[in-house]
Amino acid sequence: MLVNTVRMIDYDQVREYSIGNNETLKENLALGIVNPEDFKNLNLSPSLNLKVTSKFGEVVIKVKQDKDIPQGTIIMPVSIWANQITGFENNELIFKNIKVNVEATRDSVLTFESLLKSIKQ
Amino acid sequence: MRKIPCSGCSLLCDDIIVRSDGIFVDEVIGACLKGKERFDQVTAKNRIVTPMIRDDSDLKKSSWDEAFKKVTKLLKNSNKPLLYGFSTVSCEAQLKGLELANLLNGFIDSNSTICQGKVLNMAKETGLTLTTISEAINKADLLIVWGANAAESIPRLLNKTLFSRGKFRMTGREIKTLVIIDPVKTASFGVMGVRDIALQINPGEDIDLIKVLKEECCNPGSIASEGVAGIDNDDLKRLLLHLTGAENGIIFIGQGLLKTQSKKSVIRELLELVQIINVKQQKGRISVIPIGGHYNMLGFDHVALSNYGKNHSLQFSNNQLIDTDDTIVSKIDREDFDCSIIVGTDPISHLPQELSKKLAKKPLILVDNKQSATSRIADVVLPSTITGIESEGLAFRLDHVPIELKKIVNPPSNIFSDEEILNQIIEKFKLK
Repeated sequence: MLVNTVRMIDYDQVREYSIGNNETLKENLALGIVNPEDFKNLNLSPSLNLKVTSKFGEVVIKVKQDKDIPQGTIIMPVSIWANQITGFENNELIFKNIKVNVEATRDSVLTFESLLKSIKQ
Repeated sequence: MRKIPCSGCSLLCDDIIVRSDGIFVDEVIGACLKGKERFDQVTAKNRIVTPMIRDDSDLKKSSWDEAFKKVTKLLKNSNKPLLYGFSTVSCEAQLKGLELANLLNGFIDSNSTICQGKVLNMAKETGLTLTTISEAINKADLLIVWGANAAESIPRLLNKTLFSRGKFRMTGREIKTLVIIDPVKTASFGVMGVRDIALQINPGEDIDLIKVLKEECCNPGSIASEGVAGIDNDDLKRLLLHLTGAENGIIFIGQGLLKTQSKKSVIRELLELVQIINVKQQKGRISVIPIGGHYNMLGFDHVALSNYGKNHSLQFSNNQLIDTDDTIVSKIDREDFDCSIIVGTDPISHLPQELSKKLAKKPLILVDNKQSATSRIADVVLPSTITGIESEGLAFRLDHVPIELKKIVNPPSNIFSDEEILNQIIEKFKLK
């Protein structure tokens, strides 16, 4: 599948920092939006998360469905979670059309604090 | 009541009405959600109102004197400082940032380098036909939003350009055609009417579409019957008809076009297509407007170019600008810095984790007015005013028009503007 990171008004990092807390940050930003067909094909359910792995890294996210998302594409709001799987090549940052492997998982979504800790370490 | 420009995004809407007693913003009329969030930032719970210094593992409140002492000490011990951000500060602060980089013999870059600055850089080779929002209102009959979700990233862009009535477009929306080209059916698709064209292109295949359009402009009849990039033949012909027949067409370039596709620059191909059309066009022209998010991203390019002859990625040595091919990405990747000053941005959230980890390894000084991932790992945090609300300054709108931002309320006591903070760092560094 392909991941595109995008800015969305309903899942906005700046707003979450401003009015949210660590929990709402995770809830509204650690997520991917997929087509309902992909949701079904990936054997996802509301209780399962999605492990997304690119050549740059991996992240576990919650999944929402939207029929307007083309099949084969995952839309992720720009955030510290999305940037676990973005990267760079030839000095060019890659935020769009990132090839990823995905699998349903019971692993938990990392908290904002855990991500910061891993970055600082 | 006062009419002021909004610094919520790069559109810098200059028709926002505010009611304020000089202490609080009591009412805001006409702002979009992003603009409202900007005004809400004044009293937001993540607002930083005191300087902070890292003591062991914790950030602790400090006095300005202590914070500046720590900053000066870090900079004195630094041989390769890195300055980054500067897209959400005034042009005056950007100028101070450049002065500081020169003084420190450091490297300075703005968010523009990894965003719409790419269009300006490519324009050095291909040329660029720009236009303004006023032209869009008064003359445009074709608006193409390509690789951008304008409705959510620059919320009032379509209000101003598509739904407005202008001097030569008195019928407004009825005479303007909107084309949206995007792999995802974004919120922007919701404003489309019957005469508009919605093109849901295959991801990463914009370059194929542009090549076909270029070819068709030069050799009509070359469109394959099956279409290209997921767009069928009929839609391609309609798109081409509009592109070549518009009296005044504008292409809004979004982030979706900035990434190289098939090892080629999409921006170069697009700018070349615009040139080809404009050469062939008899009665009109096509222009472009790159749409970046941060309210003064373009300002850095203008300030750096006009003062130092280079619009981005400036390396100073012996207090002079020297040639370099480095960008913020290569500098961080090679860890070719020993300390960073981040101004008005949140690279720990915005950059890929490989880069943010490298940035976080070295001492980091942050100048910003709000808490973020970067403020959480910084060694020193210097809180600043919110430009356009608590301090004034110049900013460049997305169409390169300079707009004077106003001060409408006093900042929290003991808080300085970005420009004043950078100036104090310069003065204190000189004294040491």
